[in-house]
Amino acid sequence: MNKKIKLIKKTSKTFLFTGLFLIVLSSIVLYFYTRNLLQNEVEEVLYSTEARVVHALENNENIYSLPPVTEVKKIHLLKKTFLKDTIIYDPSQDEMELFRELSTFKKINGKKYQITVRNLVVETENILVAIVVSYLIIFSLVFMFLFYFNTKRNLTIWKPFFMNLEQMKNFSLTSKEPIHLVESDILEFSELKSEIETLTGKVKRDYENLKQFTEDVSHEIQTPLAIIQAKIDTIINENTINEKQFNQITSIQKDIQRLKQLNKKITILTKIDNNQFISTTSINLTDLINEKINNYKELTSNTIHFTATKNLIISMDAFLADILINNLITNALKYSLKNNAVLISVDENSLVISNIGEKAILHPEKLFQRFYRESTKNQSIGLGLAIIKKICDLYHFDVSYQFTKNRHTFSLQFKK
Amino acid sequence: MKYLIAEDETDLQQAIAHYLQKDGNICEVASNFEEAFEKVAIYDYDIVILDINLISGSGIDILKIIKKNKKRAGVIIISANNSLSDKLEGLDLGADDYMTKPFHLAELNSRIKAVLRRGKYGGDEVIEFNEIKIDTKSKAAFIADKEMALTKKEYDLLIFFISNKGRVLSKEIIAEHLCGDDSDLLDNFDFIYVHINNLRKKLTAEGAKYIKTAYGSGYKFIED
Repeated sequence: MNKKIKLIKKTSKTFLFTGLFLIVLSSIVLYFYTRNLLQNEVEEVLYSTEARVVHALENNENIYSLPPVTEVKKIHLLKKTFLKDTIIYDPSQDEMELFRELSTFKKINGKKYQITVRNLVVETENILVAIVVSYLIIFSLVFMFLFYFNTKRNLTIWKPFFMNLEQMKNFSLTSKEPIHLVESDILEFSELKSEIETLTGKVKRDYENLKQFTEDVSHEIQTPLAIIQAKIDTIINENTINEKQFNQITSIQKDIQRLKQLNKKITILTKIDNNQFISTTSINLTDLINEKINNYKELTSNTIHFTATKNLIISMDAFLADILINNLITNALKYSLKNNAVLISVDENSLVISNIGEKAILHPEKLFQRFYRESTKNQSIGLGLAIIKKICDLYHFDVSYQFTKNRHTFSLQFKK
Repeated sequence: MKYLIAEDETDLQQAIAHYLQKDGNICEVASNFEEAFEKVAIYDYDIVILDINLISGSGIDILKIIKKNKKRAGVIIISANNSLSDKLEGLDLGADDYMTKPFHLAELNSRIKAVLRRGKYGGDEVIEFNEIKIDTKSKAAFIADKEMALTKKEYDLLIFFISNKGRVLSKEIIAEHLCGDDSDLLDNFDFIYVHINNLRKKLTAEGAKYIKTAYGSGYKFIED
C-alpha cells in the first residue's frame, strides 16, 4: 500500500508546484525577451546615430568626435562592420562602464573613415531588472492570493464529501439506524449521496433478509426433524427388526440430535446479532457454575475442580449467561482426556477454565471461528466457541485461549 | 387417561397418538385450529398436547381458552420455536411443560406422566410397578418397602424406564433424557452404560430383573 495523502493537501501541493514552475519559467522567458527587445532598441539607436554621422561627413561638415559616444577616425584599410560590448572609462561617472559599440568602415568622398558609436548599457540593464522584479512581485502576490482562496474554497466545496465519508466510517450493518448523509448543491456529491443511500439500504435489507432466512430455515427444519424422530421411535417399537437395523436406525437419532443442536446454536447466534437479548440482570456466575457442575457430575468420567475466591457477579442476560457457562464447561469436558480434572477458578473479575489436552491447537487464531474444527473425533458442531466469543463481544468481555503445561486454558476478563 | 393431540402435521400427530395409546390411554386428535378449538370447548381431557403453530391459528389462543374455561387439563406445548420468550409466555399462561421439536416420544411420554403426577390433574404422586414404589414428592425409591440408595441420575433413569415400560429405548434416547435439553455432551455414551448397569445391579440384587437388553444396544423395561 502506498502512503496515502489527503485530497486537499494533494490539490494544494499540485497547485503550489505548478505555480512555482510557471513563475520560474515565465520569469526566464520574460528576462530574455525583454533583454532582446532592449538590445534591439540600443542597436537601432546606434545605427541611426551612425547614419547621421555618415550623412554629416558626406556633406563635408565638420567631424565631431565625442568620445566615448561618437568617434570618427581616418583610416587606410576598410574592415567589416562589427557590433560588440566594451568596457570604457567614463569620466562623467568616474568609473568603468559597459558600452555597446558599433564600428563601421566607410569610404566617403574618397576618404576612408572608421565611425564608432557607443551607447551606455547600464540603463537598459536597470530597466530589464525593474521589469522582471515587478513582474515577479505581482505574479507572486496574485499566486499567493489564488492559492489561499483555492484552498479555502476547496475545503468548503469538499465539506459534504468529508462529512459523508465520516458517516460511512461509522456505518454499521447491525445497527437499526439508517445512514444520515448531508445534501450538497454539487451534482456529483448529490449523486454520490443518493447512490450510497441506495447501496447501504440494499446491503442492510439483504443482511436482514439473510438473517431472517437463517432463522426461518432453522425453525422450518424442526418440524420435519420431529416427524423423522417420531417415525424412528415408532419403528423401533412396533416393527420386528434385527440388531443391525436397530443400530442403523438409532444412529439416525444421533444425527437428528446434531441437527437439532445445530439449529439451536444458529438461532442463538442470529438472535445475538439481532440484539434480541436486551434484558440485563445481575447474575451470580459462581452459583451458576456450581449448578452446572452438579448437573454434569454424573455425566462424565472427568472430575471438575472449582475454586472461587469471591463471588463473580456480572450484569448480563440470564439466558446468555447460562449458555456461556454451559458452553465453557461442555467444551472443557469434551476435549479433556478421559479421567482427568477440569479446573475452574473465578475471582471477582475473571474466570479461568482449563482441561488437559494432547497437544496445542494448530491454529489458535481460528479457534473462535464458526465451524472451525481440528478433529472429527468428537462429533462437534463447531459453534460452541463461536457463541462464547459472540457473547463476550456483546458484553465487551475479554476472552483468550492459551495452551500451557498441556492444558487448554480459556480466560475471561470481565471489565467493570 | 384422555389425551388431545393438537398438531397439524398428521404424521407426527399419528405417531404421538400411537405411542401414547399403548398404555391404554384414549387419544383424540385435532389437525387445525378450529378442530382443536371445538374439542377443548366441548370435551374434557387430562392432557392436551398443543402445537404452537397450528394452521389457521396459534396454539397459544387454545391455551388461553382452556385456562379461561377453567378446564382441568394439563397442557404440554410442542413448538418448533426454541426461543426462551415463547417458552416463558407459554408457561406464564399456564402451560405445564414446553418441548422443542424434535423430541423423542419416550421423552414426551415421561413429561406427560410427570405433569399428571403433580397431582392437579388426577394423577398420583406415587409411581408403582410391582414391588417398586417411587415417591416423587420425597424423591425416594423403594423396592419391596425397602428404600433403595440411588444416585440422582439412577433415580431419573428408573422413573424414565417405568414411564416408558414395554418400549424399546435406544441409548440415544436415554442419553438425551439424562443430559437435558441444553447439552450436546452426547458423543460419549460410556456414562449411560455406567448408570444403567448400576441401576440394573441394584434392582437385580432385590430380584427385580426388569431392565432387559433389546437389539444388543437398546433397553426395555418389562416384566418377565
